[in-house]
Amino acid sequence: MSVLVWRLYRGQAAIAVLVLAAFAAVLVVTGLSMASQWHTLLLGCTANSSCADLAATVSLGGSVAGHDIVLLSLAAPAAFGMLVGAPLLAHEFEVRTTDFAWSQSVTRMRWLLVKVGWTVLAAAVWGGVIASLVTWWSGPRNALLQNAFQPTTFDQQGLVPIGYAVFATMLGIAAGALLRRTLPAIAVTLGGFIGLRLLIANAVRPHYLGTVTAYFSPKLSTFTPPGSAWVISQGLVGKNGQVIQVGAGTQMINGVPIGSLSASCQRLVSARLTLNGVARGHVAGPSHAVLSCLQSSGVRGFATYQPASRYWPFQGIETGIYVALALVLLAVTYVVVTRRDA
Amino acid sequence: MSFLVWRLYRAQAVIGLALLAAFSALLLATGFSMASQWHSALATCTTDGGCGNLSNTLFLGSHAVGFLVIMTLGVPVVIGVLCGAPLVAHEFETGTRDFSWTQSITRRRWLLVKAGWLLLAAAALAGVVSGLVTWWSGPDNALQADAFGPGRFDIMGIVPVAYTLFAMALGIAAGLLLRRTVPAIGLTLAMYLAVRLLIDQWIRPHYMSAVMHLYGLTQNWVPSGAVWQLGSGVVNPSGHVLPMQNGADIGPNVSVSTVPSVCASGASQAQNNQGGVLTCMQKLGYRQFVSYQPASRYWAFQGIEFGIFVALAVGLLAVTYVVITRRDA
Repeated sequence: MSVLVWRLYRGQAAIAVLVLAAFAAVLVVTGLSMASQWHTLLLGCTANSSCADLAATVSLGGSVAGHDIVLLSLAAPAAFGMLVGAPLLAHEFEVRTTDFAWSQSVTRMRWLLVKVGWTVLAAAVWGGVIASLVTWWSGPRNALLQNAFQPTTFDQQGLVPIGYAVFATMLGIAAGALLRRTLPAIAVTLGGFIGLRLLIANAVRPHYLGTVTAYFSPKLSTFTPPGSAWVISQGLVGKNGQVIQVGAGTQMINGVPIGSLSASCQRLVSARLTLNGVARGHVAGPSHAVLSCLQSSGVRGFATYQPASRYWPFQGIETGIYVALALVLLAVTYVVVTRRDA
Repeated sequence: MSFLVWRLYRAQAVIGLALLAAFSALLLATGFSMASQWHSALATCTTDGGCGNLSNTLFLGSHAVGFLVIMTLGVPVVIGVLCGAPLVAHEFETGTRDFSWTQSITRRRWLLVKAGWLLLAAAALAGVVSGLVTWWSGPDNALQADAFGPGRFDIMGIVPVAYTLFAMALGIAAGLLLRRTVPAIGLTLAMYLAVRLLIDQWIRPHYMSAVMHLYGLTQNWVPSGAVWQLGSGVVNPSGHVLPMQNGADIGPNVSVSTVPSVCASGASQAQNNQGGVLTCMQKLGYRQFVSYQPASRYWAFQGIEFGIFVALAVGLLAVTYVVITRRDA
C-alpha cells in the first residue's frame, strides 16, 4: 500500500522537491548576504556605541525579491492543502477509482489511513522545511526589528507553519470526502483555511494567556516593553481606569488631553497656553500649579502586551490548536469513508 | 450556447454574487464611517493648523477590514484557478468534450461563447471589487499618500481587471496544455505569481524613466504627493551613487568610510565635525538624491500595466484558440 502511494504521488513529490529547492536557493543566497550585512553593522555600531538606534537608521531587507518570497510562504500550507489534500479523495470519487480500490484485499480503513498518513507526513515536512528556512533567513531582521511576535511574522516562523500545513491538508481531504468533487473541495479548502486563520490570528491568539499591562507617565509618549513583545493595545487611561479616546484634534498638554482635567485646571491650563501663544501641543516646564493639576488628573499611559518570553508557549499553543483541528477532520473523514456504501 | 453556459455555471454565479454582496456590505458600512471620520479630522486640523502631521496621529478604518482589503490582491488568481483552469481541463478529464465537439455547434463557437462569457463575468467581478476597494481607500490614500506604492497600486484602479483576465487566460491555456484540472490549477498558480512578481519588481519601475532630484547634503527634501519613491542616497561629483554603509553615519546618507580624504583627515575626526565635513563635500560637488515616479504618472502607469496584462491574456487566448480549433477531437 505504501509503495502504491509512492507510485501515485512520485510526480507531485518531484515537483514539490523542485519548488523547495528553488525556494531554498533564493533564501540561502539572500540570507547569507543579509547575515553578513548584519554582522558588519553590529561591529560598526559597537565601535561607536550607536547600536540602540540601529532600528531607526538601518533597513535590512536582503533583497526585495527575497522579502516578497518569504511573505509568500504564508500561502504555502494552503497551496499544499488545495493541490494535494483536496483531490486526494475527491478525485478518486470523481473518476470512480474507489470502485476498484475498495474491491481489493486491502481494507478500506487501511487504504484510507496509509494514504492520509503519508500525505499528512509530507505536508508536515513541507511546512517544516519552509518554516526552518524562513526562520533562519529572518534571524537578523528579527534581532533588528524585534518583531518575531508580531502577526504575519509569527505566522511564518517556528512551529506554526507545520500545524497550518497539516490542518490545510486534512481540511482538503475532509472537504473532498464530503463533497466528492475536486473543484468545490479546493474552493472550500481555500476559503476555510483563510477564514479560520484570520479568525484565530485576530480574535483568539491575543488571549492564549492573560495579557500584561504596564502603566507609565503620559509624558513618555513612547513606552516599549522589553524585547520582542507583542503590543496588543496602548493609549491613555483616566483616574478610574477608563480608556481616553485621543483623536486628531484633541488638545494635549504634556501628553494629557486637556478635556480630562478638572474645570478649574482646564481654565488654568488654557490661560497658560494662550499666555505662551501656543495653540496646541506641549508646554515646556509647566508651573507647579499646572504640574499638580496634571498629577491630580490621574491620567496614565498604558500598554497591554504579551511579553517576549511567551513566544514559544504561543507557538506551541497555536500549533496544538491546528493539529487538534486536523485530528477532528481526520475523524470526520474516517467516519464518512468507512461508513458509506461503496 | 449562451444558455448552456448559464445552465453550467449558475451555481458558481450565485456563490460569486453572494460573496460579492457580503464584501460590498462590509466595505460600504466601514467606508462611510471612515470617510466621515476623515472629514471631521480634516475640519479640526484645518482650524488648528495641524494637518501637516495628521498621518502620524490618525488611524483610519480597522485592522481587520484593512487586512481584508489587502487580501483582494488574491482575487484575480483565485478566479483564474477556480474558473479558468477547469474551463477546458475538466471537459478533457471527464471526456465531456467528446460530446460537446460532436454537436451541431462548431468547436470555434463552443470555445468563444464559453470563454467569452466567463472572461466577461470575471472582469466584471474584478472590476466591482476593485471599484469598491478604490472608493473605500480614498481617505486612507489621501492620508498616507501611498496609492502608488507596491501592494496598493495592485489592488486599485483598473489593473485588477487586467490581472483577472490574465489569470483566466492562463488557467484556460494551462488546462488545454495539461488536460487535467489539478495540475492546471498548480501551473496557473505558479505562473501567475511568477509573472506578477517579475513585472512588479523589475519591469514596473522602468515604465517611464524615474525623476532624479538632487539637493544639498545639509538640506531636507521630500517629493510632494503620492509619489513612488525608488531610491535615495548620495552621488559623488562624477554622478556615481555612493555605497550605503550603515553604522557610522555623519549625516543623512553619508557614512564615514565614503568621506573623501580631502574633507577628513581621519574617520574618527570626521564624526566630531559633521557640519564641516558635509560643507566640504558639498563644495566638492557631492549631492543627495531622491529618484521617484511622480504622483502625476499614477494613471499612466495603471494604463501601461493594464495594457501589458491584457496583451499577455490575448496572446494566451490566441494560442488556446489555435490549438483547440486545429487539433483532432
